[in-house]
Amino acid sequence: MTTTASSSTRLPPSQHEFAEIIHRLEAGGAMLPDTPENLQQIIGIYKAYAVPMDFYWRNLLYIAERVFLNPLPLFKYFLPQDYLDLPNHYAGAGADLQIWRGEANAHPELLEFLKKGEVKRKLPKLLHHLWHDRINMEFAEACMRSMFWHRHMGGQFDPYLDTDEYVANADRAIKAYCQGNPVMLGLYKLFPEMFIEQVRQLSYYSNLGLFWEVMAPVFFEMSDLYDDGKITTVPEAMNFLVNGIFAIAGRPIYHHVYIRGECYEIVPKSKGFMWLYEAALPYVEAVFYRTSPFRGTKSYNAQAREVPSRQEDFHYGILYADVFPVGSAGIPPTLLMQDMLHFLPPYLVAYYQQHCRGGDDTLIQLGVSFQRSMYCVTSAVIQALRQALLYPLDDPNPEHLQANRDFFEAQLDRLTRPEARLRDIQRQDYR
Amino acid sequence: MLSVLIWFPCIAALVIALLPQSIAVAKVRLAALFLAGATLLWSLGLVSQFDLGNATLQFQESLPWLTDLGLDYQLGVDGLSLPLLILNSLLTWIAIYSSRVETKRPRLFYALILLINGGVAGAFVAQNLLLFFLFYEVELIPFYLLISIWGGAQQGSAATKFLLYTATSGGLILAGFLGAIWFGEADSFAYEKVLGQTLPLNIQCVLLALLLLGFGIKTPLVPLHTWLPDTYVAASTPVAILLGGVLAKLGTYGIFRFCLPLFPEAWRVFSPWLATWAVVSVLYGALAAIAQKDIKRMVAYSSVGHMGYILLAAAAHTQLSLVGAISQMFAHGLILALLFHLVGLIETKVGTRDLNVLNGLMNPVRGLPLVSALLVLAGMASAGIPGLVGFIAEFLVFQGSYTAFPLQTLLSVVGTGLTAVYFVILLNRTCFGRLDNRLAYFPKVAWRERIPALVLTLLIVVLGIQPAWLVRWIEPTSAALMAAAHLPTPLVKTVGLTIPPSFAKDQPCLRSPLLGV
Repeated sequence: MTTTASSSTRLPPSQHEFAEIIHRLEAGGAMLPDTPENLQQIIGIYKAYAVPMDFYWRNLLYIAERVFLNPLPLFKYFLPQDYLDLPNHYAGAGADLQIWRGEANAHPELLEFLKKGEVKRKLPKLLHHLWHDRINMEFAEACMRSMFWHRHMGGQFDPYLDTDEYVANADRAIKAYCQGNPVMLGLYKLFPEMFIEQVRQLSYYSNLGLFWEVMAPVFFEMSDLYDDGKITTVPEAMNFLVNGIFAIAGRPIYHHVYIRGECYEIVPKSKGFMWLYEAALPYVEAVFYRTSPFRGTKSYNAQAREVPSRQEDFHYGILYADVFPVGSAGIPPTLLMQDMLHFLPPYLVAYYQQHCRGGDDTLIQLGVSFQRSMYCVTSAVIQALRQALLYPLDDPNPEHLQANRDFFEAQLDRLTRPEARLRDIQRQDYR
Repeated sequence: MLSVLIWFPCIAALVIALLPQSIAVAKVRLAALFLAGATLLWSLGLVSQFDLGNATLQFQESLPWLTDLGLDYQLGVDGLSLPLLILNSLLTWIAIYSSRVETKRPRLFYALILLINGGVAGAFVAQNLLLFFLFYEVELIPFYLLISIWGGAQQGSAATKFLLYTATSGGLILAGFLGAIWFGEADSFAYEKVLGQTLPLNIQCVLLALLLLGFGIKTPLVPLHTWLPDTYVAASTPVAILLGGVLAKLGTYGIFRFCLPLFPEAWRVFSPWLATWAVVSVLYGALAAIAQKDIKRMVAYSSVGHMGYILLAAAAHTQLSLVGAISQMFAHGLILALLFHLVGLIETKVGTRDLNVLNGLMNPVRGLPLVSALLVLAGMASAGIPGLVGFIAEFLVFQGSYTAFPLQTLLSVVGTGLTAVYFVILLNRTCFGRLDNRLAYFPKVAWRERIPALVLTLLIVVLGIQPAWLVRWIEPTSAALMAAAHLPTPLVKTVGLTIPPSFAKDQPCLRSPLLGV
């Protein structure tokens, strides 16, 4: 990745509210200031995020492929061993493209947690589940629903879900799944669109599962590189992400269902839906920017226009989120923070002990770190898009540099809202 | 036994004041806490010795002092003063406990608090009008100093206002007492002698008016309350606890101990007006509380409203209403102390009392969740939610007053509704909603700081579930108060109601199976 300060010298200073950050992006940096403290936080959080993510993607695929239309999916979070052993395509020696040097099956810390949970005792799985001593898959499902609810964000995967071809594929799978079950078949006859819509949702399960299958080894590797002293700055971390994004951009996004040993291709790989455009960008748009207000955090008065009338104007994602209500009412951020809490690296635990309320408010402190880390990921996405659609940062043509700047300014315009946390993450005392 | 309650805290105050400067503040505080704890234990010992079957004064002590002036050292305790003595000892301990470890000039601070403790105890047990007045007046200077030295913003003007008002109160009360002797046949200020005398109605009316104004300032009742919000707000948390929890009770205690029994005929004449005055206090206090933006001021105005219930019960002067009124004094002391303690904690931790700034304190990770939860409970207790001691007291007041003043009682019930309104406002803005990112870096509350709140909460809940443990001390005395003062039948006729013979014969009694006690 090239880093240059030349663009800011060849262009007049930006007049944007976030001019300093734009200049930083133009110099190949991230929205997050480059400090050792920030680097420690984001890398530590990537590692803590990657372990539950290793469960999320496996479970999402399991639900999309195996649980499918089970009307009573009581045990959908009870991941069978073969899905824990499912080799990650980007980890281990036999990987299609080895990103992480570790094993391809589930992460050892994850397996240990699944065995003994937070209570550190081996109890029947049902007891761990009922005690909520488990990975909070509800968070993963909330992200999936957010992508599904904010459909029509572009790309080709989403429009495909409304095609006759997709409906015919889904119809075949539904009929196969309901074979010998007159109640389900009768219901399908009565409410065909409901079943199709459920399958669309399951296709998004698969979409997100395939997205995270890539991200987990990326984050693991970043953590290992940091531990090895090979990632020493925030821009280096961001550039690793940018390079990873380009390396995996073409990974196919599909949805296969396995019914009685037979594979039904609802979204075939042959459609050529690419990871970057059909999973990564919609994910960032839906989860980082849009999502929807979480219950239990704040009351919004729609009549007072506190909730935008257009979905594309929603701004409740992690880049805007108030992480302080974390710990309330089982909201998705809280679920994620609790998951990450179990897998924090020791240096991050020690770091949180030193600030605010020490160990008592780790959930919020790690929530803020997570927000910082997602600003770093968003920076990587912005740089990747700039690289794909526009010009190099050291381009000698001032018009090209101006086009880059316009792009950066347009991206940062989305973060000028008062709710955006871009201003906050510039300060180290925002914890 | 009673003298110990007066003089032990006074000697303790002297000891604390004379402690060498080399002793650390924390140790001074610990010593004060220990001495206040000893007083509390002595009070509890008094409770264990108290004869429930005996409605007359107990543990009487009498020493001649200035007999020519009619001033003798005469003490005694009954079911009216016993709960207030316990409240005084308990809240003194709570006040010392909730004081900051880094309090400046700690020797003087704790000495003054202990002095107040002894003085208030003296007022509650004094059985001589002049002796009562002396103890009543002895509070002024310590409180003045506590407000003016350790108070918050505008403490100087608040302390001066407090001093002027309460000194006026004392003057009026002294005038009333002197009148009771000059116009009567009693040859001393001994309570039992004054109690037995009969005065012409017009004299009674004048003297009663003087005493009502005097005690009305202390209570306080609208429109004599204007010193209260400024003083409560300016006072530090421990002093506010003592002001609201103990000092205000001297006013209501005076009404029940002196106004009602000494001038029964005049009381009967005044009572419809007093009931209306009570309603005005209740509604004004509640409406003023709704309008506040400062949570401490809101709690202060809530106190004005709740004192109105006690006046209503006194105006009705049925046995049940008297039991309710004394219960309300005790319950209000506990609830107000809890509220002030919690508000003080919020102010200390968050740095503001402004309703427009506070928000989201219920946040379980970065907020003050237990403080918020207890604030909700205190608000519920103050609004008279069943299961808490506030409900029992208010229910007894309303039940006992309705037969005498149905309209005023119903309007006062509206006041409890308004209480719920302002507490919902307070809780909604303070505890719920979004925790402000700019503010949410305040320190957590240590368990040490939670203990006073937990002790008060325990009492509020336990006495709410088992009210007999409170009213059993009060019932015999309230019956005796009615009898000793020769109080006429409650003024049912004035509102055009007739009492069923069986009802009139058997005054509503708390030990009714209907009440489950």
